[in-house]
Order: sequence, then C-alpha cells, then structure tokens
Amino acid sequence: MTDSKFDVVVIGGGSTGTAVARDCAMRGLRTLLLERDDIASATVGTCAGMISSGLKYRDEPDIMKMCSTEVVYWNHIARHIVMKNPILAPLLDLSDAASDSSYMESYSEHVEERDVPAMMFLTPDATLEIEPMLHPEIIASVYYEEYFIDPFRLCLLQALDARNHGAEIRTYCEVIDFEINDKQEIEGVIFYNRVFGTTERVTTKLVVNAAGPWAHKVAKSAKEELHIRLNKGAHVIFDRRIVNTGITVKAMDGRWVYLFPHENTTLLGTTALDTWEDPDTLVASFDEIEYLLQSMETVLPSIREARIIRTMTGVRPLVPDFKVPERNVTRGYRIVDHGENDGTKGLLSFLGGKLVTCRHMAEAVTDLVCEKLGKDIACTTHEKPLPGNEDDVDIIALSKEYDISLHALERMRARRGTEMLKVLEMTKEHPEWKTTICTCEPIIEAEIRLSIREEFPQTLNDLRRRLRLGTGPCQGTFCTYKAASILSEELGLAGDDFLVDILDFRAERWKGIRQSMRGEQLAQEELAQGMYACVGNLDQSDVDYDLKPWEEGH
Amino acid sequence: MDLETDLVVIGGGMAGLIAGTIAAEAGLDTILLRKGQSATAYSSGAIDVIGYLPEASEPIISPEEGLFALSRLYPLHPYNVLGYDKRIEFEKVMENIVGRTKDTVTWLKAHLDGTIAPLMGDFESNMHPITILGTTKPTCLIQKTMHNGDVQDREDSVLLFVGIMGYADFNPSTAAKTYLEDRMAAAGPPRKVGHCIIQVMPFGKPYNVSSIELARHLDHEGSIENLAEQLKEHIEQIGATHVAFPPVLGLQDALKNKEKLEELTGTTVFELLGFPPSIPGQRLQRALETIFTKAGGKMLLGHEATSYLKVDDNLKSITAASPRREIKIDAKAFVLATGKYIGGGIAGDETGLRETVFDLKPVTGDYHSAMEIVPSRFTSRLSISPTGQPIQSCGLSVDPRFRPVDEDGLEWAKNLFAAGAVLAGYNYSVEKSGLGVAATSGYSAAKNAIEFIKEVA
Repeated sequence: MTDSKFDVVVIGGGSTGTAVARDCAMRGLRTLLLERDDIASATVGTCAGMISSGLKYRDEPDIMKMCSTEVVYWNHIARHIVMKNPILAPLLDLSDAASDSSYMESYSEHVEERDVPAMMFLTPDATLEIEPMLHPEIIASVYYEEYFIDPFRLCLLQALDARNHGAEIRTYCEVIDFEINDKQEIEGVIFYNRVFGTTERVTTKLVVNAAGPWAHKVAKSAKEELHIRLNKGAHVIFDRRIVNTGITVKAMDGRWVYLFPHENTTLLGTTALDTWEDPDTLVASFDEIEYLLQSMETVLPSIREARIIRTMTGVRPLVPDFKVPERNVTRGYRIVDHGENDGTKGLLSFLGGKLVTCRHMAEAVTDLVCEKLGKDIACTTHEKPLPGNEDDVDIIALSKEYDISLHALERMRARRGTEMLKVLEMTKEHPEWKTTICTCEPIIEAEIRLSIREEFPQTLNDLRRRLRLGTGPCQGTFCTYKAASILSEELGLAGDDFLVDILDFRAERWKGIRQSMRGEQLAQEELAQGMYACVGNLDQSDVDYDLKPWEEGH
Repeated sequence: MDLETDLVVIGGGMAGLIAGTIAAEAGLDTILLRKGQSATAYSSGAIDVIGYLPEASEPIISPEEGLFALSRLYPLHPYNVLGYDKRIEFEKVMENIVGRTKDTVTWLKAHLDGTIAPLMGDFESNMHPITILGTTKPTCLIQKTMHNGDVQDREDSVLLFVGIMGYADFNPSTAAKTYLEDRMAAAGPPRKVGHCIIQVMPFGKPYNVSSIELARHLDHEGSIENLAEQLKEHIEQIGATHVAFPPVLGLQDALKNKEKLEELTGTTVFELLGFPPSIPGQRLQRALETIFTKAGGKMLLGHEATSYLKVDDNLKSITAASPRREIKIDAKAFVLATGKYIGGGIAGDETGLRETVFDLKPVTGDYHSAMEIVPSRFTSRLSISPTGQPIQSCGLSVDPRFRPVDEDGLEWAKNLFAAGAVLAGYNYSVEKSGLGVAATSGYSAAKNAIEFIKEVA
C-alpha cells in the first residue's frame, strides 16, 4: 500500500470528473483523480458530443442560459475541438409545425451570444437544396445551428491540463472503500489498481463523486444511499458523413431523434430506456435499432441503404425525478453534500448534468470544496485555454513541408490543434513514423507513439479514445495488429500481452458491430475472421484472456 | 452479343478457377466470369485442408486423419456431401471422401508446379508455418517461399525476423517476442530469436511502403543483392541460421529471390504468413488464372451474372454484364462459385440472407432456412473464439453432385453446380479449411458438370 495526501480526490474520469480535477488543480489544490477504467470510457464516450443550446429543455430557462454561456466558454478555451453543425428539422405535415413554436423564441434569445443565426423556416426547395436525400413531400423545415465538441479529446485535454497544473490522474484504479472516522468524516480512500492488481490508499478529507452511472455505487461504499435514475441511450453509427447537415425528427413516441454528421461518421440517436442493468453489459437491442431507423426513415427514406458500421450504448445518470418521461427530467445537476444531512462529511456526489455544463458543474463543486478547505480562490477554467487551442494551424503548408496527406493532417488538427506540431516534430528524426497505421481515420504512427508516451493509454481501446483508432468503416480490421505492435513496443509488453491486446480490441469493437450486423459488415466480418482467426490462429490462442462483462452468460 | 459454350463458371477464385481448369482440360469449351478481386487473392496463399475439427482445441495432425474424423462426426460438411451419392458403396464412402480431397491436393500441387506459386506439403501431415503475428497455424500446403526448413528441428537454430522501414504490415520485434514465447512454452528450438529493420524504398521514401511496391521492387535486378548486403551485419550479430521475411519476396520471382538470398547470406530464408493485401494470395490467384487459360479456358474479367434463363429444370443461359456491355451466354452446364460475403455470392440485411445470382435459398450452418434470419442472432458474443461466428457457416445446401437444392431437397436445376465459400455447413476461419473446401468442391463440381454434359450428349 502506498500512502499520500491530497486535498481532494475526484472519482470518475468522464466529462465532469476531469473538469473537476482541472478546476481543483488550477486553484492550487492537491488533486487526485481516480478512474476505474479509462478517461471518457463510459457515458461521455457514447454521446454525440453536442454542446447544445438546451433547446429540448426550454421549460428550464436557467438551463438554456447556462448552456449558451458555456458554449461561449468552450469556443474560447477549446475551439480546436469544437465544430458547428447546421441542423434541419423537416416537417411533413402542419401539425408538426403548429404543435409548439415556443422553442423558436427560446432559441432566438441566445443566438447573439452563441454566434448563430436565428432559427428560421425554410421552403421545401431550399431544404432539398441543402439535403437532397430528404423526403420530396416535406412542406417546410426548421433550420438552426448547434455546436459539437469531441467528447474524448475534451475529457483527455481536461485531464492533461489538470496534470499540467499538478493533479495526479490515475486510470484503471477503482475505488473500493472509504476510511471514515467516528465523527463520520472521510479520512482516506482505498482503491484497487487494476493494472498491477494491488490495493492502495490515499489520505484526503474531501471526495467528489463524479462516477456518473456508478455514483450510487460509490456512495454505497461510504454507506450512503444516493438515488439516481439510470437511462440507457443507444446510437446507430454509419460509415461516413451521409448527410450534409444534421437532421432531427420526432420519433413514433414523440421524442426527438437525430442524425448528426460526426467526425468521419454519422450518428443516429438516441433511444431512452430506464435501466437497472450493469452499464458495462448493455448493448443496443434490435428494437432500439429499428426504432431509430424507422423514425428517421419518415423524413430520409433511403437511410437503410447507408452502411451501418456499429451501434454504441451509454447510460445517462439522471436526477431521480420519477413519474415523468426521460425527456422531461431536468437537465440541471445536483450536488449532494452527504455531510449536510447527517451523512458522511466530506463526500460530495453529482447527479444529472449535461456535457455542455460539465465545466460549470466543476466550478460549483470546486467552490464548495474551497469553502470547506477555507480557501478563497477564483475559478479560471473558463478563461485559460485547453492545450492546443492557442493558435490556428496552416495544415496546407504543413502538408507540403512534411509530405503528409492533407486529410491526415486535418484529422490530427481536429484532435490536437497547435499540439500537432509535436507529432510532426517527431517525424524529423523518424520519417518512417509518417506511415499511416489506421487508414480509415487516418492516423500516422508518430501520433500513436506520442499518444502512448504522453497521454497514458494502457490498451488499444484507450488509444481509440485518444485518436479515434479503429472507429471507421473497417472497425479496426486493418489497424488492430499494427497498432498493437506499436503499443507493445512502446510499453515493453510480452508477446502474450500483445495478443491479448488484439483480442481485447476485437472484443470491444465486436460489442458494437454485432448488434447491427448486416450488409457490407457481413463481408467486413468475414475478412476480420479470416485475418485474426484463420491466419493469425488467435481463436486457438492459449493466452490469458479475461471475458468482458458483455461476453459473460449466454 | 451472344455466346455459346459448354460450361460457364461464375466466379474466379480458387473454386471457380479449379472447376474451370478441370473442365477445360477435359475438352469442354469453358467461359469464366470474374466480377472483381476474389477472396483467394486476399488469402495468406497457404492452402488449408482441415486444421481443427469444429469447436476442438487440438490441431489435427494430418488432413487425412482430419477428414476421416470429419466424415464420421460432421456428415453434412461440404467435404462429405459426395458420400451421399447413391452410386458409392457404403463401405467406400469415407475412402471416397478422403480420396477426392487427396486427388485435389495432388492435382493442385502438380498444376501449380512451375507457376509463380509452386506449392509444397502433403496430405499426410499438416505443417505449422509462422505468421506475421509470431503465431503458428496448421495448414496442408504452403508456397515454397514459406518453407522455413529445419528452424524448429535444429537444436542450434537462430531465427532473425526482418522488418522493413515504413512498412506497417509487419513489426519484427513483436513477432519475434511472440514466437519465442511460443517456442519456450513448447520447449523446442529455436532458442534464440532476433529482429531487425532494413531499408527498402521502392519510391525513395521510408514511409507508407506497401506490400505490392515491395514485391515488385524485389523482382527488379539488383534488389536482392542490396537486401543481402544490408542483412549480413544483422545475421552476423546474432548468428542467424534462418531469416523470416514478411510475405513480400516478389510477385513473379519470389522463389528465385528466396533462393538467391539464401545463397548470398548462407541462411534459410522464408516468408511468413500474412494478412491482406497479401502478395502470396495474389501469386496464387495469378497462378490459378495462368493454368486456367493454359488449359484453354476463357476469362471475362469485370463481368458479373445479372440475369438468367431457366426452362423447366434446365438453366439455359445467363447474362454477363460489365459496365459497357451485356453478353448472353448459352451453356450446357454452369458452376456457381461466387463466394460468400466477401465474394458477393451471399448477401444479407436485417431481414435475411439471399443468394445473389439465381436467388437460391440460403441455409444456416445447421441447414435451416436462412432466408429470414436476423444476422446478428447468428453470431457469438465472443469476437474471436473456436466457436467462430455461425453467420459465416451460412450458404447453399447442395446434393451429392454439388447441385444447389431447394427446400424440398431437390436440385434447383439439373445443370447448375456450386462450389467454394458459397456453400453452407462449414466455418473456414475456425476450421482452417477455406481453400481446401474451395479446391475440393471446385474439383467435384467440375467432375459432375463434365459427367452431366456427357450424359446429355
């Protein structure tokens, strides 16, 4: 057991946890972040990355205002990973338009600060000119714009920035217990290091529980009861940007579903199902896939002809509002101070919240933490940029200078901003690292090596979150073994570990591919089986492979 | 334009080309359509017959023994369907099944001798070539360039894995580590393994170097000498007796290049088994095309069968279409060798599977209708396991003469035969049986088509 002292321990490496660690570290607190898996490996890693205007939640004007303010901040501190997407909501009959027009006003209240045009109606001709694949019989459409952020890079950059400010970030460390004295005050946190199989302990008086869909379980370790409403959401993912703009439509149950171009792919989401299952075991069901496709088909009849590459599934940790459908649950957040109600002193738990408000949530809880520590330090997370945001990057000039394709450089820029220069610098000594490893994204070898050296990945899945490795049409068929070799070399792994890394990554990709298996993905899987089972003989490998939560049972 | 011929083969991979060659050699006027690249060209270029029984974990020692076991335990496996031919005496069924595959293997070895993909190995024992991951797999025939000599027998053997700068398909350090751990577990030689990177720059750049560029480059005069020169230092450093290369030793002259390298370095040089895009796979494909055209077969590249004419229970003609033209081809018999999902013979969506040329009715690996299956439900939770993915066992059910059958078990047409991955009832990735089933069923389909044409005449 190691022992060290921290002012605050943050549990959870999602958008909220990393934002809290960053804020605490920037205010000079000795900060430790513990994540049982990897950064952005659960809820935030399965979202569409929309940092929304809060349009769906116009009944909560405070939330909408907060969303707008936060978008302005994101554009200031993380513009290199922010994109603006135009969105069309096509209308097929008048009832769609007449049902409710208050959203136009609520949206328009914040257009100036968000730097977008006011919401407007478009004629069918104007609509079809923007998106010719839409149903020819639409009577109009509503046009508006939303901002999106790369959710993986956001969390990682927050974690890296926290580290730059002195925080310690520990992934694959699962909190298993708290030390609580007889005055019901937290004195220490005990966690299990999943990489080394050891139990460790740290001293702290304050814990921020940002474990998302596991928040109630973390609270339970301190014998605290935390009510939460878990809600499953699934996406269907297409192989490329199949639409020119985002498309939103009302599903058969009246919920809004959307089709958003996202990085090199298109996301169709989401479903909303209350769930009590272990979030690690959840996958999209046939019904969820059909619900999404059939809903979108009403305005985009050819959607089924597009190539589906996989599904993804996450769990929303909502505040425990009962007797209301998911869409009416507040998107505001709550900070539960367990000590305030005769509970454990020093434990603060998050409920609810949205991606766009994660920085705001962090500011609020860090204010509280500072107050408890008797410190008065102002928050600066909305002023100081995240790494890479500093300047524009001339990728055309860089492409000529380094002889790397524009496409590869643009994708690298979208992840790293000015920090991409560090990657390119490495290729001066090692020109062979300009070699493309993942051709779908694409990603060059130098970026993989830099990520391994500086962004603490342990597995290929961690590399996927940092680089979008294996997220394209081939779903890692061609890059898995190449990237596994590089990881193995950089981390000095044994041969068996190299094969386990391959099997682990194939397992995680398969988790999402399997549910929507059809069309070209049948051939893609025949090829993957041919490579890894038939030629590689990995189906017969005797390495120590641990079954994944979604692989257990029958 | 209309054509008339004896036999039309639809599909130009291993199954189709063998069927076509056998028919052409038997004097039939044969036309073969090939839509695009075949799955054979994506293969490692080694020819598996049977490596594992379904769901078994011990590799099969010899294809012969494996086929005997398979015929007892899995009577509906494509290797075994000819056993249901009523003309074969019961006592001779197994002998016939094993004999047919043995004949095919012998035929293939003899025919590919002297081509750019000469084979070695035999029916009596499986070999265990090393792959680019550093693993090994059981297979029946390898290309001679893949022969690793006595590396696993000689007590003092030292193996050097050679990588090429900027060629991402093969990483010699991880392969060396994986292979050495494997050999240590087996307590056999080689006990010393090394790795190195050399520079081969077909286009003057040390990055994004591809297999095909390397293979073509190594066919050029002087390339091998240069390679040998770079290798010497690395070989001396660890005292290597054997040298493993990624499978890029040449497209036309791979064997000659291997022998030359051996002569210049005094070591045994060999190619590892690799992933697509695979040079040995392309060598095999081209070699098969060569023997087909040499036998007098005609090939229509870039053509696919788009429609057909069937009168009663006889298939009369098919239409072969390319982007520029359509050709109606009348024939006495037809072989369907369109492959599975990669080849495009079987396609599917969330409502079921279909056969793409004649709309025949696909079945699952258990021979139930696959016309209305949800593909995701015919998969395993585990991505890579000995169970494999059951969806990969779907395809066509055939009668003992390799004619696709309907739900009633009767042939769809008297003169349509099927071969290769379009067949149901086996999962080649886990059995390691892909090109073996393709070759044997192609051989059988052709023999049956020839017999049919003679009968009708």
